[in-house]
Amino acid sequence: MEGFEQFIGVNFWTMIFAWCNLLILYFILRKLLFKPIMNMIESRQKEIDDIYEKAEEYRTDAAKTKAEYEWKLDQVKAEGEEYLKNTVKLARKKEEEILKEAGERAERTLKRAEEQIELERKRAVNEVKDEVSGMAIEIAAAVIERDIDEAEHKALIDSFISGMGE
Amino acid sequence: MDINITGPKIYFTIPIFGGINVTQTMVSLLAVTILVTVVAFILTRKIEKRPSGKQVIAEKLVGMLTDMVVETMGAHNKRFVPFIGTLFVSSMLGSLIGMTQIFRSTTADLSTTAAWAIATILVVWYGNIKNFGLLTWLKGFTEPIPLLTPMNIISEIATPISMAFRHFGNVAGGGVLMTIVYGALSGLSSLVFAWLPEAVIEFIPPVFQVGIPAVLSIYFDLFSGFVQALVFSLLSMVYIGMANPPREEIQKNK
Repeated sequence: MEGFEQFIGVNFWTMIFAWCNLLILYFILRKLLFKPIMNMIESRQKEIDDIYEKAEEYRTDAAKTKAEYEWKLDQVKAEGEEYLKNTVKLARKKEEEILKEAGERAERTLKRAEEQIELERKRAVNEVKDEVSGMAIEIAAAVIERDIDEAEHKALIDSFISGMGE
Repeated sequence: MDINITGPKIYFTIPIFGGINVTQTMVSLLAVTILVTVVAFILTRKIEKRPSGKQVIAEKLVGMLTDMVVETMGAHNKRFVPFIGTLFVSSMLGSLIGMTQIFRSTTADLSTTAAWAIATILVVWYGNIKNFGLLTWLKGFTEPIPLLTPMNIISEIATPISMAFRHFGNVAGGGVLMTIVYGALSGLSSLVFAWLPEAVIEFIPPVFQVGIPAVLSIYFDLFSGFVQALVFSLLSMVYIGMANPPREEIQKNK
């Protein structure tokens, strides 16, 4: 029972068959091809996005840490400089103090020595005066051969000697 | 030589419902379905995150189609990708399968293209009713002025008809042209070799049928098949896309 359909014509059963095929193919392709591939592409895209996001995060973190460390380094450097400056200043002050103290001490010692010398001199002069006055009295006594009242004339002689000694 | 331009051959008739004719088109449709299923199965047998070989092809195909759908219909209509893809693949392979000479192009049968066009228009109408409501959609036919209502209705009905006939006409016309060219070339060879004795002519192959039809076949079968598949799915995309606008626009129109 062979024959041909019309060249331009619509066969209802062929249409039904075409619909069925379209529907079956639709479900097969959706299940087999589109869903899994689209899901795969999407999940891969997500993974790549995640990786990039993470990389960006790490980069920002690294930059932050770097800035932090640089800041700290600067801080330490500044602190060191400050410390050095302070130390030098302190040392200068100490040096000055020591110098000043040494000068003062030297001066004091010198003054005391001068005083001592003066004192010694005075003592020596007095001693000499005493001796000379004694000697003069003795000499005078011997010369005059007369007992001079030592006590009576001492003042006279002293004044004489002190006028001489000066 | 006789040139017969006929519809698809009827293999046999199932004697129910007033006789169901099993035609070449049905066999070709089944062949396309099986072919596509097998190819899809092979392409997606082992899907991995790091694609290799055939998975790259499958992803490229799906990606291209998705890009096309997103470009034409918007990203919110991504769910129509499988439908458009099925239409495109069915149409393309349906046209190309005619080149095997074993099967007849499914799209050279108006029944097939009409079925697809009706399927598309049903999806469009479903989208319209779902998104805008039946009344709003019907009211849309009376715009911009009620006088144009018959025109609008005709244009709505004409849409699937024109889609079906465009596709059918291109493929069937190409087939007819190829048949005529083959016939003409066969006539040409018998004309050129007419001086030979009749006993010899029977053994001479139709030499002019070699080469020349191949060039035409590239256009009428390959190119036309591809372009018509593209046009059909593009029109479907446009119509379905118009029936499924972005959510904000639906809210605005309500």
